[in-house]
Amino acid sequence: MKGLKGSKLPVRRCAALLATGMALLGGSAHAGILDFYNDGKVLATPGVSMTDGAGGGGITPWAVITGYETRDGINADFHYTYVNLPNYSLNSLGAAVGFYDRVELSYAYDILPTGSTFNTIGLVSNAVGGLLSSPTLGPILSGLGLTTGNQLAGGVDPWNTTIKMHVVGAKVRLIGEAIYDSDNLIPQVSVGGFYKWNENKVLLETLQAAKSKDWEAYASITKIFFPVSTLLNVTARYTGANQTGLTGFGGPDGDHKKVRVEASLAYLLKKDTAIGVEFQQHGHNVDGRNVTLGGGLDLTSLVNNPLLGPTLKGLGVDSALVSTLTQKESNWYDAFVAFFPSKNLSITMAMAYLGQITFTPNQVGYYISLQTSF
Amino acid sequence: MKPISFKTLAVATALLCGAATGSVLAEDKVAERTEGKTPAYPGIPADSLEKFGGQAGVDVWVDDLFYYILADNRINQIFNTHGHVQRQMALNKELESMVLGGPGRYTGASMSAAHAELGITVTQFNAVVEDAYLACDAARTPYHVCNQLIAALAPFERAIVTK
Repeated sequence: MKGLKGSKLPVRRCAALLATGMALLGGSAHAGILDFYNDGKVLATPGVSMTDGAGGGGITPWAVITGYETRDGINADFHYTYVNLPNYSLNSLGAAVGFYDRVELSYAYDILPTGSTFNTIGLVSNAVGGLLSSPTLGPILSGLGLTTGNQLAGGVDPWNTTIKMHVVGAKVRLIGEAIYDSDNLIPQVSVGGFYKWNENKVLLETLQAAKSKDWEAYASITKIFFPVSTLLNVTARYTGANQTGLTGFGGPDGDHKKVRVEASLAYLLKKDTAIGVEFQQHGHNVDGRNVTLGGGLDLTSLVNNPLLGPTLKGLGVDSALVSTLTQKESNWYDAFVAFFPSKNLSITMAMAYLGQITFTPNQVGYYISLQTSF
Repeated sequence: MKPISFKTLAVATALLCGAATGSVLAEDKVAERTEGKTPAYPGIPADSLEKFGGQAGVDVWVDDLFYYILADNRINQIFNTHGHVQRQMALNKELESMVLGGPGRYTGASMSAAHAELGITVTQFNAVVEDAYLACDAARTPYHVCNQLIAALAPFERAIVTK
C-alpha cells in the first residue's frame, strides 16, 4: 500500500491500485471476490449466440439465458459469426453476460460488406449528378430538389460499401423451466429487447428505410422435450426491421412495427451435438420499392421524366436498369449443426437461405459461428 | 395471416406467466412422489426400461453413476459426508427403475425428505446430470435412451435443489 500513498504521479498510483486489485483477484479465487463465477449449466443447454448477440439459435433469440451460469453465478461469452452469401458477407462480433440465469446483457457489431451490390446506385447517381451542370437539365433537377452532387452519393462507396450496425440487447427470464420441468408443458418464458443503430444512414435513406436506428422487443418460449431429445423455441418479435436492421427500419410509410414470428427446432444428437432448423419471418416494408436519390427523389420518376429520361437513357440509365434496383425481402431459413466440444467453445455451421436481400435474389450461403464462454 | 398486435403479445405473455405461477404454487405431486413412472411430455416410451437393459442395466448404470460421482471433486464431498453410499446406490437402483415405469418398489424417502438438510444448489444438481451422461456413455446406453431417464428424473430438481 506504500506505492498507493507515496506516489504523486496519477499513472503510477493507478498502476499500484491495479496491481493491488489483480493481487486481490488472483489471491482470492476460492474465497470471496470471484465467487460469482459459475459454469454449472449442462453442456449445450445455453444454446449459442445469435447474430444480434443474444443467447439463442443462429438468428433467433431463445428464452434461455446466455452463458453457462446457473442461478448461482455469472458467466460471459464472446462470438464471431461469418455468413458467406453470393452478394454479401455478414460478420457478427459480440459479447454477452448472463447473470444468475435470470438476466442477460449483450452487444453485437454486425459488419456487412456488400461487394458490388450497390454499384448500380453509384453509377446512376454519377450519371444524374453529371446532369446537374447541364445548363438545360440542371435547373430541372434543381426543381426536383437535387442541388448538389453530394446529395447524390447515395451512401455508396463504389466497390466497397460496408454496412455496419451496433446492437445492444437485454433479456429477462420470467418463468418456467426449459429443462427440469419435463412433467409439464409450461415453457421457459423470457422477454427481451434490442436497440440497433446502423451507421449507414444515407444508404438506408437511398433504400427508402424510414429509420437507421430503432428498437425491437420480443417474447420467447423454449422447452426441451428430453424423451424425444428435441428443443423447441418460438419467438414473437415486435419490430420494423428490414433484413434485421442491416438495411434499416420501416419504409416510406413509416416504421411499420409488427409482431413477427420466429422458430427454432433442434434435435440433440448427442450431448455435445445438435442439429436443427430455424425460421424467421421478415417484413415487406420496402418490397417493390426502388431507390431514391437526394432524400426522396424516386429513380423511376426520374427515368420516366420526359425531359430527363432521354438524356439519362443515352447515359445508360433507363427503366430496365432502374427495375434491377427493385427491392424485396424474404423470410429467412437455416439448417444447422452445432458442436460443443467443451463449455468454453461451441462451433455452429449452417446453410442459410435468406432469399432476396435488397436487389439480389437467391442469397443462399453458409454460416459458421464460434462462441467462447468463460 | 392476421398480424398479431404488440398488445396481444404482451397479454399472452402475462397470461402464460400467471398460469405457470399458479401451477407451481400447487402441491408438487410429481417431485414428491415415491411411486410410479414419471409423467413426462411427451411420455417416457413403454420400452424405455427394456432399452436401458432392464433392471440389470439400470443397476450397472447406477454403479457407473456413483463411480463418476465419487470421482467428481465438485460434488463427491456431499455424497461422502452424507454417508451410506451403498444404501444410496441401492435406493437409486430402485428409483431409476421406478421412474422409467419398472415394476419394482422404491423403498426410500421422498426426494425432498432425503435432501432437505443438504442445501443442494442447481450447480451441484447439474454436476450429477453430467455424471449421469458419463454413466450412460460407460454403459453404452444410447444418448436418446439416456435422455428418457434424464426426462424421468428432471422434475426431482424441484425437490432436491433447496438453495
